[in-house]
This record gives sequence, C-alpha cells and structure tokens, in this order.
Amino acid sequence: MDMVFQLLFQGIGIGSVYALVALGFVLIFRATNVVNFAQGEFSMVAAFLMVIFSVDLEWPYWISFLLSLGGMAIYGALFNLGVYFPLRHRTYLPVIISTIGASILVSNSTLALYGPQPQVLQPLLDFPGFNIGTVYLDAQYLLIIGLTVVLVAFQYWFFEHTLLGKKLQATSQDKEMASLLGIPVATMIMLTFVYSAMIGGLAGILVAPILFVSIHMGGTIALKAFAATIIGGFGDVAGAIIGGLALGVIETFGAAYVSVPYKDGFAFLVLVAFLVFRPQGIFGERVAEKA
Amino acid sequence: MTNFTRRSFTSALALGVAAPAFLRNASAQSATIKIGQVVPITGPAAEAGKYAMAGAKIALDEINKKGGILGKQVEIITEDDQTTNPGAVLAFSKLATNPDIVAFVTSIRSTQVHAMAPDIAKIAKPTMFGGTDPTLTKLGNPWLFRCRPNDTFSGKVIAEFGVKELGLKKWGIVHSTDAFGTNGMKALEASLLALGVTPVAIQGYANQSQDFTPVVLALKQAGIDIISSYFTFENDLGIFARQLRQLGVNAPWVGSPSIVNTTAIKLAGAALNNTYGVADYAEESSPEAKAFADTYRAMMKVAPDNQSSWTYDGMNLLAVAINKAGKTDPEAVRAAMLSIKGYKGAEGEYNFDANGDGLHGYNVVKNVGGKIEFAKHIEFPA
Repeated sequence: MDMVFQLLFQGIGIGSVYALVALGFVLIFRATNVVNFAQGEFSMVAAFLMVIFSVDLEWPYWISFLLSLGGMAIYGALFNLGVYFPLRHRTYLPVIISTIGASILVSNSTLALYGPQPQVLQPLLDFPGFNIGTVYLDAQYLLIIGLTVVLVAFQYWFFEHTLLGKKLQATSQDKEMASLLGIPVATMIMLTFVYSAMIGGLAGILVAPILFVSIHMGGTIALKAFAATIIGGFGDVAGAIIGGLALGVIETFGAAYVSVPYKDGFAFLVLVAFLVFRPQGIFGERVAEKA
Repeated sequence: MTNFTRRSFTSALALGVAAPAFLRNASAQSATIKIGQVVPITGPAAEAGKYAMAGAKIALDEINKKGGILGKQVEIITEDDQTTNPGAVLAFSKLATNPDIVAFVTSIRSTQVHAMAPDIAKIAKPTMFGGTDPTLTKLGNPWLFRCRPNDTFSGKVIAEFGVKELGLKKWGIVHSTDAFGTNGMKALEASLLALGVTPVAIQGYANQSQDFTPVVLALKQAGIDIISSYFTFENDLGIFARQLRQLGVNAPWVGSPSIVNTTAIKLAGAALNNTYGVADYAEESSPEAKAFADTYRAMMKVAPDNQSSWTYDGMNLLAVAINKAGKTDPEAVRAAMLSIKGYKGAEGEYNFDANGDGLHGYNVVKNVGGKIEFAKHIEFPA
C-alpha cells in the first residue's frame, strides 16, 4: 500500500510539470491556432538563465528567480516578434515549421555556449523532504504541486475576472470580432507569448533541481506535455492540467507494475488510444461547443 | 605556356609512381622520429582532447630527456578529429600521407577507432588506441594496440569485487537499455553466474528518464543487498542516485566507470558517497600512476584521469617497442610491441596478448565524500 502512495505522489509531481508546460502549449494554441514546438525550450532557457544568475554570478536565489522570469518575458516577446509575427497572415504550416526551426536554433546555441555537460541548480528550499510512514515526500515535488495549484487558480481568476483576461479570451475565440470591438489583437497575442514563456520557464526552473539543467531537458518534457494536451482536449486549460496529471500517474504506475523500459511507451499508448477513440480529448465537448 | 607532350606526361607519371619509394627513403633520414596523434581539438570532447594531448606531451618530454627513440628526438604531430567519426577518418588520413610518421596514437572513443580501422589496416603502422569495445582487437587488424582494459573486464571485476571482497549475493542490476548498458548488464550477469550468483533484480530504463521511483521500489521489493549499474548519461545516474537514497536504499553500490567521473559526482553529490566504481586509471594504484599524477598536476593544475593516462602509456609503449626493435620498420615494431610483458604504465601493468590488448584488469575505487580513493586492483591472466 505504501508503494501505491509513493508512486501516486511521484506521478502527481511529475504530472504537475507536464501540466505546467501543457498550459503554455494550450495558451499559444488558443491564441494562434498553432502548436509551438519550441515550448520545451522555454523551460530549458529559463533553467539556464537561473544557472547564469544564481550559479555563475552567485546572485541570491530569489533575485535570480525574478530576473529569470523577467528574462523569459522578454524572450517570449522576442519569440513572438521573430517566429510568429512575420508569418501571422500565412497558414498554420509555415508557423509550425518556424517554431521547429526556433527550437533547433535555441537548443544548439545553448549547446555552443554551455557545452553538453548537465549543470546543477540548487533547490529553492533548503530541506530535501520528509517521510510520512515509509512514503517519502520530496520537498521540490511538493513545491511543484503547490505552485501548480496556485497558478491554475490564478489563471482562472485572471481569464474570467479581469478585463485583460477577457480581452485575451476574446482574441483567442475570434480574432476578427475582437479586432472589430477595438481589442488590439497583435498586442494580445504578444502578451500570450510572454505569459506562455513565463509559465514554461517557471516549469523549467522548478524541475531543474530534480532533472538537472541540460539542453535536452525541455524536449522530453515538452513531448509528454504535448501528449497531455491531446489527452485533455486541445485548447482546453482544464484539460491540459488533468491530462498532465493523468499522464504522470499512468506512466509511473505502468512503469512500476508492467515494465520500466516501456515507461514512455505507456504515455504514448494512452495518447494513441485517445487519438483513435476520443480525438477531442477528455473535455472535448466544450471545445466543440465553442467551435 | 609549354606544350604538355606525351613524353612529359609519362615522365610525370613515372615520378608519381616512384615517389613513395623516395619518400620512404627520405623518412629514414629524417632528423626526428615523428608520431601522429588524432585528438578532439574542437567539438563536445574538446576538453578531453586537451587532457589527451597533455598525457602524450608528458611522455614525449620524458622520452626526449632520456635520449629519445633510437637516439633521435621525438616529435608529435596532432590532427583534430572534431569529436566526430568523419573528422577522425579525415584526421587520420591526413597524418597517414606524411611518410615520416612511424606510428600513431588515436582515439579513446570506440566508434571512432572503428571508423579509422580500415585506413589503419591500409597504412599498416602500429596504432595505439583507448576505446574499450572488446571487438576492436578482434577485427583481424594487426596494427591496433589497446592501452586500456576492454569492457569484458569491467563486468568481471564488478562481480569479483562484490561477491568475493564484499561477500554480497543478492544483486540488483540497473542498466540503460541502449547498446552500452545492455551489453554491460549481460557481461556482468554472465560473470555473476560464473561465480554462482543469480541476480535477484535486473532493471532496464530508457535514457533520459525523469523518474526512477519504480526502479528503486522494484530493487527494494526484491530485497537486494548490493547494487550494480551501467548508466550511459550522468543526469540519469544523478536522478537515480538521489531517489535511491531518498527512498531509503543504502545498500553498497558498485558501478561502471561513469559512476566515478567528475560530472556524475558533481550532479549526484552526497548521494554517491561510499559507492564503488571500476576505473582503469587510479592515482594511488601504483608508484607509476602516482608519478604520472604528480607531473600532470604540476602541468595542468587539475587531477589526471584516463583521458590522459592512456595517451601517456601509449607514447611510452611506442618508445619501448621501437627501441626494442632497433628500427622503425612497422613489422619489427609490431613484433616488439606484442612481446612487451610486465611493462608498468600509469594505467597498470601491460602484458600484450596476441589480439593487441595490453591490460587485463581494472582498479576498484571508492567515492569518499566526493574524493576518489583507490580500493583494490583486480587482474586477470592475459
């Protein structure tokens, strides 16, 4: 029984990371109708910014944290200007290819600057974790789960109860109508990229003390997060969260009770099953209604 | 413009055909003995390349101080392999066109040695290398000489040390499912079976796993009392080590060489305390290893590792073999190299077998608070 709880905790922990990255995917998808294949690099870049500020320059953790998030906001804006904006009137295909190109460029530039050796980032909290019975609760995972809850709550409040949030929602639902109503669509999309980069960056910074900082860290997480968004229902915020958590739990239990080498296989088996039997995802109807 | 006649063409052709003979003659009269070295100067392994060059340079200075080879001073000519296989092939063929070069010191990467092997067979000159893939000395290429123990010995040494030295019988093996990890696991399992021990848990994982909880829980449930591992990437090793200790598994751990490399120790930190690893170079393993370490540290200001120790041995072995042969003729040098027995290098005692494998044992080292200490040397008959 202890084993079940241990696996559940670990699954929810890693699932929260997928959920955070998936959230970034969904926001950009809703705003632009395009899947951003450089979403994983948002996490990687933020983690490297943390390494630069807090390890190389030895600045205090909190200042480094804020600077990294600020850096990600700028990065998101630049990403929008360089990768999306010039192609905004084209179909989705050139934009997707453009994001793939950006992903390759960013990860290889980081490789050129930092080399292939993984870097160490200290965790936010000083104490490593504690036991409840024989179940070990890792402090960093607890932090990740907690922050995911806070962020989801914030996001709900922001999109449903603030004017800016409503403008962003209107933009994502119907750009032409939003523009007729005087909403600055280009600015709204820019803000979406900024927010998405910050959220992806936050996921990267949170997970870095556990998975270490390397140029590959974004890729593996983003692939799972992408699967999570499909399971949840593409374009649905709640779906991304549920999808991320479900994926984390399923792959952890699958690995423990069936086979460890096929751990990633379970995640993608679930993905394929959803694509075949329920392509609209868990929260599909609501998306269909909206469309 | 002069006319290009048939006669001038044939004479040019004749000269071209005869050139190698002239050049070979010229090489005999060259003022120094030249040795070609293929190293990564650019690319991901550039840092390791610096170490490899330093190891060879230290040997070179010592050889020249003692009067050189056959009474001539020695010179190293380096070419960059760019840390890629095509780069290695290119670098080697560039060196091969220089007829003055009598022998080569090449790569620590098995895949690059595989790539260069056909050209090495063609040029037919003694070539030292550091890759540990066992098949390299079984290619039927008589010019390849290995200056590190090959991978079949790591499994044997891990099994021997865990079963006989530590007296532990309930083995758990964790391995990457790639070629390196799977082959390592199979070799270790075979060595354990030979000692009458059947592993109680064998857990494979895919590279770049983010979570090892299921693996650790499986080891725990199997009731293992010793862990062994073949990890390909240090970040996987780091994540596993931390989760292993967090979930309360404190069994002794004897790992493949990656467990004692500096990146792994940096990433995993205290989680690797008191673990054992096999290492071909260990500073405290012999007076020769210690002497090399002192010189290396004075020159490079960092601790030496196997990147430099094998090139140091490779250069020295070439000097011994050529001096023993009394000439630079490749066949004579090859025969002299194969007859080397009991040569004490930085990596260990060289006893070349017919395949060209110089070393037949490993050192077991222990991680004591982040410092690598020598524990035991285990040697097998050549």
